[in-house]
Amino acid sequence: MSKILYFIKQSWLLVVASLGFGLILAAAEGALRPRIEANQQAKMTRLCKALMSEAQDFKVVKEAAEISHPKRTITTNILQGTNAQGQVIGYAFVAEGPGFAGPIQIVIGADRTLETLTGFRVLTSSETPGFGDKITQRYYQEQFKGAPYGTLELAKVGNPETIDRQIVAISGATVSSEAVVSIFNTYVDSVRTTLVKEGLINGN
Amino acid sequence: MATEVTKAPALGPTFLAGLWKENPVFRLLLGMCPTLAVTAAMKPALTMGCCVIFVLFCSNIVVCLMRTLLKPHLRILMFTLTIATFVTVADMLLKAFMPDMSEALGPYVPLIIVNCIIICRAEACASKNGLIVSIMDALGMGLGFTGTLCVLAAIREILSTGCVFGVPVLKTIDAGGWFTPWAGMGMPVGAFVTLGLLLALVNIISKKKA
Repeated sequence: MSKILYFIKQSWLLVVASLGFGLILAAAEGALRPRIEANQQAKMTRLCKALMSEAQDFKVVKEAAEISHPKRTITTNILQGTNAQGQVIGYAFVAEGPGFAGPIQIVIGADRTLETLTGFRVLTSSETPGFGDKITQRYYQEQFKGAPYGTLELAKVGNPETIDRQIVAISGATVSSEAVVSIFNTYVDSVRTTLVKEGLINGN
Repeated sequence: MATEVTKAPALGPTFLAGLWKENPVFRLLLGMCPTLAVTAAMKPALTMGCCVIFVLFCSNIVVCLMRTLLKPHLRILMFTLTIATFVTVADMLLKAFMPDMSEALGPYVPLIIVNCIIICRAEACASKNGLIVSIMDALGMGLGFTGTLCVLAAIREILSTGCVFGVPVLKTIDAGGWFTPWAGMGMPVGAFVTLGLLLALVNIISKKKA
């Protein structure tokens, strides 16, 4: 009994403080979570609009679409962008893959038949400043805009202004460049298969 | 036998100490990591400074209020628990009200938990003094840290981009002016060089004053 009393005497402040701080954090989370989620939603909408400038509204048409991967289970939500008249402009989805310094999360856009990609925007990345973080710059991202559906290849040299399946790597950031190409190759085919199965696009 | 009566520190000198005499970056050499990492531009530097002021202020108050109840062997644990709570609140506030800044600062906001300035002030001041003294110490140290970050960031941003807060102050060659931006100042090497030179300057000024 004296051991228990000793333990309580030593640790009561720690326990009470933990409960108190837990309450503070729960209150802060409860008060701020709606705003944080609204910010994340607004960011997603902004990025989707950058990829589909004619689209006004975006809605999730497929939740937890399965992405084919040899090592782990990946799912993503597929958003459909429509204009003011309700016509489908294209599709966008969040894709993720390992980069040089950590995971890279991007939003990939494609036209309404998924025959042509409309590009990508970076959601989160911790790539090296001045090197890998150049995946956020327009000159690299523009190579994906208008690229045809199919397996993309990374090239060390080439003309980045030519829009085809060949993507010219960022000098000094081959791993980051390869990571983005690999993300496209992992996700785009699976997303297209899902949309064909859902009857949202023609499979031919 | 005469008993020693320890006088509470004066409020004014306590506050001012954090600004110069005991500046956390230039004199105590604490908080070096965020000092180097977030001072490429003014906006993130000022945001980081404000976060540190908030955490210092709140943690000093809480540590001061529970100082008579602290067990010596558990005090560091209590300090860390307190600091971590307020850093988490600060992080959530940033994500809610300044999401772009939250992204720009990235992992450096959660890393405030291990910023030595905060745990140092909890140990050296808040756990040994009254509430008003602890508050003045927190504000002085916080403002000293923020001021230092801003000075460093102003120098680096002007030299690396010709702008302050994104507003052009030096006309660059691309804009038809004379100034060639020093890209290195926006990189870690610029941070180390600028901080080193400022430390040397502070030491020279301190020596002359002495």
